[in-house]
Parts: sequence; structure tokens; C-alpha cells
Amino acid sequence: MAETLFYVLGALCVVFAIGVVRARMPLFSVLNLLGTFFCLAGIYLLAGFPFLAATQLLVYAGAIMVLFLFVIMLLNLGDAAELEKHAGLSLSGRRLFVACSSAALLGLVGLGAAEMSTAFDARTLPAEHALDDLEHLAALLFSRYMLPFEAASLLLLATMVAVIVLAKRQREQARDTSAASAPAESQRKENGVLR
Amino acid sequence: MSTQEFSAAFEALTAPAARMALAPLLALGVGVLVFLLCDVVAALRAARAPVFVGALILAAAAEVRILLGERAPGLVFDGTFAADRATALWGLMFVGATLLAWLASLGYYRENRPFKPEHDALMLTTPIGMMLMIGARDLVVFFVGLELLSIPLYALCAFRRMRQESVEAGVKYFLLGSFSSALFLYGAALLYAAAGTLSLVELAERDLSAPLALAGLALVAASLFFKVAVFPFQLWAPDVYQGSPTPVTALMATGTKAAAFGFLLVQLTPILPATGRATVAVLALVTMLLGNLGALVQTDLKRMLAYSSVAHAGTLLLLVAAGMGAPDEHGALGAALYYLGGYLFTAMGAFGLLGLLEADGARFTRLESLRGLARSRPVVSALLALFMLSLGGIPATAGFLGKWFVFAVLVDADMTTVAVLAALLSTIALGYYLRVIVVLYMQPPPEELEPPRTNRWSASLVGALCGAFVLAMGLFPALFLGLLGS
Repeated sequence: MAETLFYVLGALCVVFAIGVVRARMPLFSVLNLLGTFFCLAGIYLLAGFPFLAATQLLVYAGAIMVLFLFVIMLLNLGDAAELEKHAGLSLSGRRLFVACSSAALLGLVGLGAAEMSTAFDARTLPAEHALDDLEHLAALLFSRYMLPFEAASLLLLATMVAVIVLAKRQREQARDTSAASAPAESQRKENGVLR
Repeated sequence: MSTQEFSAAFEALTAPAARMALAPLLALGVGVLVFLLCDVVAALRAARAPVFVGALILAAAAEVRILLGERAPGLVFDGTFAADRATALWGLMFVGATLLAWLASLGYYRENRPFKPEHDALMLTTPIGMMLMIGARDLVVFFVGLELLSIPLYALCAFRRMRQESVEAGVKYFLLGSFSSALFLYGAALLYAAAGTLSLVELAERDLSAPLALAGLALVAASLFFKVAVFPFQLWAPDVYQGSPTPVTALMATGTKAAAFGFLLVQLTPILPATGRATVAVLALVTMLLGNLGALVQTDLKRMLAYSSVAHAGTLLLLVAAGMGAPDEHGALGAALYYLGGYLFTAMGAFGLLGLLEADGARFTRLESLRGLARSRPVVSALLALFMLSLGGIPATAGFLGKWFVFAVLVDADMTTVAVLAALLSTIALGYYLRVIVVLYMQPPPEELEPPRTNRWSASLVGALCGAFVLAMGLFPALFLGLLGS
């Protein structure tokens, strides 16, 4: 039963993945991607990693997918012909590139499958490494991997600062547009009250 | 895990050794937070610069304590992080690079540049990433370090948002950088599938000759090759180096390169298969060739230095080839430290002076705009000439000894042919380094162009400091070799 389900989910996953690259509208690509994420989460669940499946749904199908949609809506990428204008490579060039990278990826996956017998078996891992248990996962995060866990918080802070630097409307622009009408406002901004 | 077990684990993490190893990271991390806080509270604005410098000095002091202490902490945090004399030396280099790049950035941007404090905060984050990378004994720690270094740099590259080339540099670096991060993660996943561990200490003991493990190693190595810009991942370097603000370029050329090569040489080289030696050596030679040929035809000094940095990465890659498959037996690590130390001061000085000449808006980085600069700015010209000589590897400079040590390692590792080829390739480099000196000293100043009048104490200080170190490392190598002693 589980095995049949695995093959069904796997096949669906591949179908959706092909849909991502075949779709003419970016929005359909994103919807196909969503399908891939759901199938992957199902496979994780089958393999006995419920937490991983939940995270996959929350982070990828939830948060990242919304970001994708935002970007696509904001950029107004409705038409494939519009995209064509910005493409650096010719169509055949892109096809060649995609074919080559897909072949390389397939090769790696095939290698992985062929090596499965020599590779280690996740089921034989010592219990404290197992990911199927939230308690073990939490214990790992707060013992062995505490340093990267804490460093990740700094990373998030740095990322936020970076995003603000890149995305916030800069003050000189704000001054240009508001100086004429509201000098007091721009003065206040300059004093940095808003930052 | 029971509460008791947990508290035992927690105690092990806060042991004196762990605290000592963590001290430099903590100094910088707290420094970033305090710096950002000072920026928010108006009364504390004036404290920003002292906080920045103070954090770096504290971090340096913590590294010196590890370096000179009787007992280095060694492996801490359950074997995921290490702090010893070698990592302390690298750490000092990162702190130095950050401090110099920050000094060079003072006054580089227009007065009252928006987000300048954020710029500094991001700059202060990068050495934390570098230290995590060099101390990492676990691929997870390394990856967090790599991102902690890369993400601030993406934003810093695009910091001059109004300039198209700056934004282009940021986007290019970001896209290709994310791609290389993905390569790393995939490689790490394959390694885990093959060996069942992410610990580098354990990986070094496993047999990694299975195709799956080799593919993993190749992907991890490829992502690092991207970071240091060696063939075939060097194409981004000229555009990104040219488009980024000059102090950021200086930090990328020295700090990022040092951190990535540090990890590559200390951790990855011993577990790479010895059979790949010839491939890596060929990659290194091709990198040197492409870097040097590319630099020959450039008319923009910043772009030329970018190609030159590609060529230098090629030279360092030769050390990786020499050390593959065995623990360091030819002294490749010492040679790399000396080479990178020399390169740090040379490149930082050259970029710092370029930043000094580069008035905001005007471009004084073109070769022709430097014509006859020796008459109006004799000291700047003399220092620039010194840095060019050092980059070219002329005796009595740091660059010469660095190259000398690299070739000595190669000969020691029975790679004499490679050493001869590399030496021949580096003579091409003299062509473009000497051209800069010719332009500075032997050509009449252009009439239509006003010589740059910018004069900033901080960038001048960077130039002078770097010049002093380049000469000292060239003339009195014993001073620095003592540090590398063990």
C-alpha cells in the first residue's frame, strides 16, 4: 500500500515538475510548483518524517509560495512573449542549457539510486540523530547544533538589515518629493526620527 | 533527552574552552547589536564608530588570547567548531581586513549617505561569517557561516543603489551566489547520504572513494571555487568587483577569498581524493592564464585588479592541488597564510588608494586618468607603485615571498612542471602591473582632466598601513614566519 502510494506521489511529482517548466504563464508554473511541494510532503510523510512534511508545507507551500506569487503579480509577467524580450539566450540555446543541466541532475540522482546499497541506511542511525521525533530534533538544535542555531538568528538580523538597505525608499528621494510641500516633514525625517 | 541530560549537555557547551573559542564571535555579534542600537538612539549616535572599532579590537584580543594561550580550546560544541592557533591567525586576518575596509569606506560615500550605519553594521557581520567558516568542523556550521558572510555582501555590492553598475553587481553576485549555495547544499546532502555524517572530523576518517561521495565532494568544492572565482566559475568576478563600491570590493577580494581558501585548504583538501590532483592543477593553471590575459587588455584599474585577483586565486589553487589527499605535509597551509596575508595588505592598499582617488560620481579608476599622477600626488603614486610591484611578485615585497613559498611547496610535492608553468604565467602579469607604473610616472598628466583632489585621512591611513606591512613582510619575513612557526 505504502509502496504504491510512493510511486503514485513520485509520478505526480515528476508530472508537476514538468508542468513548472512547460507552463506558458508564470502563474501556472507556480501552481504546478505547489503541486510538487505537496507531493514531496506526502513522500516525507510516507518515509516516516511527519515533522519534515509539516515544515515542507508550512515553509515552502506556505511562505515561499506567497513570495513567488507576490513577485509574479508585482512584475506583471502575464505574457510569455513579454518575457522573451528579456531573455539573454536564444530559444535553442536555452533548450540546450536546460537539457544539459537536467541530464547532469538526472545523472546525480541515478548515481544516488545506484549507490543506495552501499550508502548508509537512515533507519540504522542512532536514535539521537533520528529526525522522526520532535524531541530529538529539539535536543540536537540546543546541544550539538547550538552554535549554528544562534548564528542563524544573527543571519536573519543581517538579512533584515540588508533588505531594508536595498528596498526602502531612500531619504534623498523622499526629500526631493516632499521638500517643496512639507519642509518640516522632511526635516523630521532627516533627524532620523523615522529610523 | 531528560532534563538532567540536557543540563549536562548545556554545561559542556558553556565550558571554559567553549567560552574561549566563542569569545571572538561573541565580541563581533554583540558589537553588531550595540552598533544598531546606537544608531536608533539619537544620543548614542556619536558612539557608533568607537563601538565598531571596539568590537573589532575585542575580537582581535580574543583571537590573540587563543593564539598565545598555553592551551588552545581545540574542538568545542560537540566537535562542530574548532579554535586553535591556526584559526586564530586566520581570524586576525579577517578582523584586519574588515577594519581596513571600513577605514577605506569612511568618507568614500557622499556626505550623509543614507543607510551608511546599516552599511557599517553589515560590514561588521561579515567577519563573524568568515570565522565560522574557518572554525567549522561540521558542514552545517560552515554553511551558516558562508551565508552570514555572503548575504551582507550581496547588499553591500548593491549599496550605491542609484548607480546601475552597483545594482548589477549586487544582482549578479546574489544570483550566482545563491546558485553556489545550492550546489554546496546538494553536495553536503550527497556526502551525508554516502557517509552518514556531516562532521568534517568524521568525514576525514571515512572512505570517500564511492562515486556518491565523490560527487558530493565535487559539488562542495565547486561551490567554494565559485566563491574564490577560479575557472570555470570566474566569469562573475570582473563585473562584480568593478561595479561594487571600492571598499566593498576590497573586502570581497581579501576577506571572502581568505575565508573560502582557508576552509578549502584546512578542511577540504585533506579529504579530496589524490587522484584529482592533476585536474585541480590544470584548473589552477587555466585560471592563472585567463586572469592574466584578461587583465592585460583592461583599461579600468578596478577591473584589471579583479582579473588579477582571479589570477591570484589560481596560484592559491595550486596549493590545494599540492595538498590533496593527505594531511598537510608540504607546508601548504603556512604558505597559503603568508600568501594571503601579503595579498590582503597589497590588494587592500591598492583598492583603498583607488577609493581615495575616486571622487563620488567621477571615475578616477581608468588608467588614462592616472597619467602623470606622480607629479600631483607623489606619495599616493609611490604607494600604488609599491602595491603593483607586490602584486607582480617583485623581490623585497610581500608578494614575492608569498609566490616563493607557493612554488617551494609545489616543488616539494613533486609538481615541478606545474611550478615552472605557474612561474611563466606570473611573468605575463608583470606586463600589466608595470604598465600602471609607466602610466603613473612616465606619461604627461592629461590637460582636460583635473587631478583628483580628494584627501581623506582614513583612506590615506589604509594606504600607509598596508604599504608598511607589504614592505615589512617582504624585507623582514622572520617577524611573520615566527607566528606561523608551529
